[in-house]
Amino acid sequence: MQWLAKRIGQALFTLWAVITLSFVLIRFLPGGPIDYLVVQLRKQGIPESQISNYVRNYVSFQPDQPLWLQYLDYMASVLQGDFGEAYFLDGQVFDILAQALPWTVFLAAIGTFLTTVIGIVVGGFMAYTEGSKFDTGVTLFSTIAGGIPYYILAIGLLYVFAYRLQYFPTGGQVDPELVPGFKWPYIESVLYHAALPILSTTLVGWGGTALSMRGNSISVLGEDYIRIARLRGLPRRRIAIRYVARNAMLPMYTGILLAIAFMLGGSVILEEIFAYPGVGYYLFQGTVSRDYPVMMGGLIMISTAVIIGVLIADLTYSKIDPRAAGEGDRESY
Amino acid sequence: MTRVNHSTETMRKRTDRDVILKVRDVSVSFDMDRGESRVLDSVSLDIYRDEILGVVGESGSGKSMFASALLDAVVRPGQLTGEITYYPTEGEEIDLLDLTPAELKRLRWEEISMVFQGAMSSFNPTMKIRQHFEETLDAHQRDREEGLAHARELLSDLYLDPDRILRSYPHELSGGMSQRALIALSLVLEPRVLVMDEPTAALDLLMQRSILTLLENLQDKYNLTIIFITHDLPLVAGLADRLAVMYAFEFAEIGPSEEVIRDAAHPYARSLLKAVPNLDAPLERMRPIAGSAPDPVNVPTGCSYHPRCPLADDECVEVDPGYYDVGENRVAACHHWTKSSEAIPYLVSETDADQGDNVGAIE
Repeated sequence: MQWLAKRIGQALFTLWAVITLSFVLIRFLPGGPIDYLVVQLRKQGIPESQISNYVRNYVSFQPDQPLWLQYLDYMASVLQGDFGEAYFLDGQVFDILAQALPWTVFLAAIGTFLTTVIGIVVGGFMAYTEGSKFDTGVTLFSTIAGGIPYYILAIGLLYVFAYRLQYFPTGGQVDPELVPGFKWPYIESVLYHAALPILSTTLVGWGGTALSMRGNSISVLGEDYIRIARLRGLPRRRIAIRYVARNAMLPMYTGILLAIAFMLGGSVILEEIFAYPGVGYYLFQGTVSRDYPVMMGGLIMISTAVIIGVLIADLTYSKIDPRAAGEGDRESY
Repeated sequence: MTRVNHSTETMRKRTDRDVILKVRDVSVSFDMDRGESRVLDSVSLDIYRDEILGVVGESGSGKSMFASALLDAVVRPGQLTGEITYYPTEGEEIDLLDLTPAELKRLRWEEISMVFQGAMSSFNPTMKIRQHFEETLDAHQRDREEGLAHARELLSDLYLDPDRILRSYPHELSGGMSQRALIALSLVLEPRVLVMDEPTAALDLLMQRSILTLLENLQDKYNLTIIFITHDLPLVAGLADRLAVMYAFEFAEIGPSEEVIRDAAHPYARSLLKAVPNLDAPLERMRPIAGSAPDPVNVPTGCSYHPRCPLADDECVEVDPGYYDVGENRVAACHHWTKSSEAIPYLVSETDADQGDNVGAIE
């Protein structure tokens, strides 16, 4: 129990540190919302003399306050669940991001799930057929695929399958004319729009998982308990799943949850490329326009998701590896 | 003349006794880049029903290969050749190396079972001990209830608390506990033969002795035939009915353990006894065996021990000795066994011969 409290305390501290660092770093970015607004107004051909008037009327935030005061204000409102109002987007930051977050989590979760499942199954088969053509072929593929950044693949896929062949949409999350709900046309449209983003992370991602699964499985296959399990006459299936796969996956478990974190962080680029309005997409927009509340909100949401992911990984690790059970949880003799 | 063949005659004489496993000309070889590696070289031996046979030899002498061969479980790509016949009961006969995969699966663990060294790594770390018993029973279509009841009895026989062990994960047990749990697991299907490959190597001395005592009890209670493989000669001396000393992938001497210990016929066995430390023999009388064990790819011609043997002459270099009868039920593969006791004197402490009986079970 004490350990749990300590672990949660660490998570909260990390979150606070992330918020503070982001707040400071964002303010040190060159330019600011005013500069952005001036540029935008200038582009629209508004005379130089009126711009400053415009700006004064339009802008409700107080950038003249000292930074520490702004920080305290911001922290106070964040603690109350208020992320402020977006400068250039309509509405409260919290509302904008809250409706975007499920989409981002959806992409990251499906992407991680596919990467992991394909990687583990293929990696397990590679270990069983060590040295075969299949094994060397997949190893070669994984090494090459692992070297390709997902965003390069994303741009390639977008170009070929969306713009050239037009099999897939070039942006959006779902056909806006459909009514949301658990009905097939809606779900189909969601999957249709998510296909290319998921494909681009999965295609380059599963090879790495497969390679580590392969390595772990090969070392597990050499363990005494595998030999004894065979002598005991256990069915091959049980040995493959309950003995080899289970023990080979242990070292990868934390990695899988960290992969979700990686996917969430990567959503900024991915969603921008596919014009997929998730948290990453808004974070990118916010960064371009120096929309401080949106940037802060997006960063906080993504970091929170990552921290929760790691916390879950930590708390559940003992469930899958009995050796990691917390002291005092079980008797040890 | 390349090989003195006393073996057939001696073997015939000994089959008077009730044999449970008959091993004839069994070899294990691996193809390696630098040649064929013979890690078991035409080994022949009878194992009697309800006896404890101690197989002793130094590291790399082929002991573990012999153990694996008895279960037809030599790891790939090893080639197992020869003939092993198993007599489950008198009159019944099974050719061990000619079984279908299904028959082999039935034979292993149900008839001939095995305990390995390193019990700590013999259990799946993500499963409770109970699940290991259950899946073994399931895989052999045994009734779980009855099987677990038997498992509890075995665990109690081994001075363990059955409930506590069954609900533990492997890492929660000490070395001695998991070794005993492993012995129970190997006996859960009531096999007739138990092959133990260095079962006590990772344990402290007290635990070694107590496990040996427990083994004697188990052997009595369940009429087991035990093949106990070890590098620790004094350890098995008190336990085993017969000893088989291995050198360079074959048996150098086979005979009743007390006689072998008291006055071994083979120079290697004698040197081995001389090299073993004991409290009674002064340190200066202990002698290591000079030289090193042969390479399995390139075993010396003739007697494989001749490069290290003080008695070696031209005959030893040229002619591979067969088994000479050196006593009742006792053979040694040495041309000059009659001269060995003079050439290699050693002292046996009284305790070596019957040490195993003196130490009580420790719990």
